[in-house]
Amino acid sequence: MRDFRTLKFLDFFQPIFRKVNIDYPMMRKIVAVKLTMDQRRVPTILNDMKRKEGNQFLKSLWIYALYGVLLIPFIFLGENFMLQSSIIMGVSMFILMTSMISDYSSVLLDIRDKVILNTKPVNTRTINAAKLVHISIYLSFITGAFITIPAIVTLFTYGIGYFFIFIVGIILLDMFVMALTALIYMLILRFFDGEKLKDIINYVQILLAVGIVIGYQIIIRVFDMVDLVAVYDFSWWHVFIPPLWFGAPFELLLNQNYATEMIVLSIIAVIGPIISIFLYYYLMPSFEQNLQKLMEESSSRKKKRWSLSDLIGNVICFKREERAFYRFASTMISRERDFKLKVYPSLGMSFIFPIIFLYNNMELQEITGTPLSQGRSYLTLYFANIIIGTVVYMLQFSSKYKGAWVFYTTPIQDNSALYRATLKAFFVKLYLPVLLVLSVVYIWIFSFRILPDILVILVTSLLQVVIAHKVFNKGKFPFTEPMDSANQGGGTAGIIIALMLIVGVFALIHFIISVIPFAIYIYLVILIVLTAVLWKVLLK
Amino acid sequence: MDEKVLALKDLTMSYSGKSVLNGINLDVYRGQIIGYIGPNGAGKSTTLKIILGLVEGYSGTVEIFGQDISATDHTYKQKIGYVPENAEIYDNLTAAEYLTFIGELYGLDRKKAEEKARKLMEQFDMEEVFHSRISSFSKGMRQKVLILSSLLHNPDVIFLDEPLSGLDANSVMVIKDMLESLANQGKTIFYSSHIMDVVEKISNRIVLLVDGKIAADGSFDELKEQSKEGSLEGIFNQLTGFDVHKETADSIVSIVMEDGRDA
Repeated sequence: MRDFRTLKFLDFFQPIFRKVNIDYPMMRKIVAVKLTMDQRRVPTILNDMKRKEGNQFLKSLWIYALYGVLLIPFIFLGENFMLQSSIIMGVSMFILMTSMISDYSSVLLDIRDKVILNTKPVNTRTINAAKLVHISIYLSFITGAFITIPAIVTLFTYGIGYFFIFIVGIILLDMFVMALTALIYMLILRFFDGEKLKDIINYVQILLAVGIVIGYQIIIRVFDMVDLVAVYDFSWWHVFIPPLWFGAPFELLLNQNYATEMIVLSIIAVIGPIISIFLYYYLMPSFEQNLQKLMEESSSRKKKRWSLSDLIGNVICFKREERAFYRFASTMISRERDFKLKVYPSLGMSFIFPIIFLYNNMELQEITGTPLSQGRSYLTLYFANIIIGTVVYMLQFSSKYKGAWVFYTTPIQDNSALYRATLKAFFVKLYLPVLLVLSVVYIWIFSFRILPDILVILVTSLLQVVIAHKVFNKGKFPFTEPMDSANQGGGTAGIIIALMLIVGVFALIHFIISVIPFAIYIYLVILIVLTAVLWKVLLK
Repeated sequence: MDEKVLALKDLTMSYSGKSVLNGINLDVYRGQIIGYIGPNGAGKSTTLKIILGLVEGYSGTVEIFGQDISATDHTYKQKIGYVPENAEIYDNLTAAEYLTFIGELYGLDRKKAEEKARKLMEQFDMEEVFHSRISSFSKGMRQKVLILSSLLHNPDVIFLDEPLSGLDANSVMVIKDMLESLANQGKTIFYSSHIMDVVEKISNRIVLLVDGKIAADGSFDELKEQSKEGSLEGIFNQLTGFDVHKETADSIVSIVMEDGRDA
């Protein structure tokens, strides 16, 4: 453990801590240990990277700097500061809050703290202060990385006044985000059990991953709307929208807009964070009590008597053993949080990408003159297939890989059934819902004439599954490799890209076939036969 | 008269309407080794958590060295060592870092704590892993680190919740003898376990908790006297009112033997 520069900086504030009756040296030791542990933690945002020695946290900061760059387009949204700064503050709040939830939850919800620290002769005040300091250090690093570039840009575009309000606003926003996150957790823990909270955190993590990709797309489009002319109209409910609080001071001070609502919102921007911090401090003890719930077993859920997935499983799996594996795999896919964290964002993209490209084509077709519904833009549906390789690859991994001994110690008749069932479960539980929703959208746009094309895409996706499986699987069982070892070995990324190219080849063939009348039906039959044979041969 | 180390008076506790402890009265004296036993969910861990200040909202009083813990500040924990039941540990620290940190929390000097930790680890032949992360340790090794972390500051009373889980027979013997000799030095040991043989052998006083109440309290010989059972296991069964173990076992076997191999 080395001495942290952060802590040396903290030493300047020593007198303040002493004044409020906190055992500073003890608090410093606790924070030092926490920081040491943080170094060894890999932030969610970097989950594509290999585990390396060194300060993982500091290395992840450049990503926040990158998010900061994404803020820059908004800075040039014009001199309507109420609108422009509210958007900037809103985006900042989204980024800070989601990263707080996804990376910081493990710290905020660390139940080991209670057992290890509260049993020692250390003041509870000191422990709570250590927690608060730890969170603040974390958040100030992220914020620092995040706002440095946009702050400099504002300094040069709008001058020192804007810059100053921006910095103060962000600090207040930080306080607010910190307290708000904790308060939300308190609320969730009051009504739900720990498992529910972990699920919610998991979904926020997924949202963060998807949100950033989609957000990026949106920002690119925002460039087209720079000349947007909008007038801000105040309504009473704006008082409940935090980004507007933080946008108001800019309008108030820089545009000298002394309307009552601007003054009210600006005051809330200052008072809101302070009140929320006090509320947090005041509710901390009850929060700690509720944290106990994380240690308790959650109430048992009722077993569903009937499930669609089971029903489909019984139809598409023929042997009893395979059906059992199918049920097992579907549960693993839908329950395992680490798996969801890595796979669901890809699924989100497989849903978003076709629509984004369809939208692009729509703009293109406006220029060429042919209406979208007459063309072949439905081939963008193939973008839903490009994630198949990644997900099939991920099926080997599990964070509970140690449980896999059961596959080796039980008399399994047909080893290949396990993988066959897992692939089917993936297909039914993850891929089909995405394709189904997309198909509805596409049929609505292109009419039922594309039904054979959708069927072709469906069959090629099955073909893609079996190809991907053959490429990745080396006779291992699914869910038997440690999650940490995913993404290791440089070849994987290359293979995944190669698999995406295969999707492109399918799309190309499809395009050629679609030129020839009725050839699509022959192609469909050929594909079905080919896929059926390959599933039989390769999954043995 | 021996010094009273711990006194529980009318201790009751309930979690969301369900009562866990129903009036515990217990005086513990210096040098005693108390085996705190009881069926799952009897309230053993809860008692320990209350004493350590982990759980609030109990009624009754808990006194340690004559001080009411609700009336004093955290300093009473200085004299206590604690091994939690679920092996809660910051496992991405190395053993050296963890033990030193815990020592410092108890007010030890950093160098002294590390030196002492190293010497203690050597006794378990773990000097090679002293600078390895605890996450790479086996269950037994973690448990040893936890036990050592509770002893670094030379506490006067030690609370152990299932201290022997995961330890091999040799280590169990070491811990057993260690507890005994600590007690001879005037330390008080308070521990809970499910392994009756061990409890029987090392405790000089056994407290049996059933449904949040003390059902028996005395030396092993006294308990034998009362219940006419030969082993602590027998006494445990009798006092917890569990006399159907044979029947339960039989019905388990018969369910197992039901033809499971239809196909």
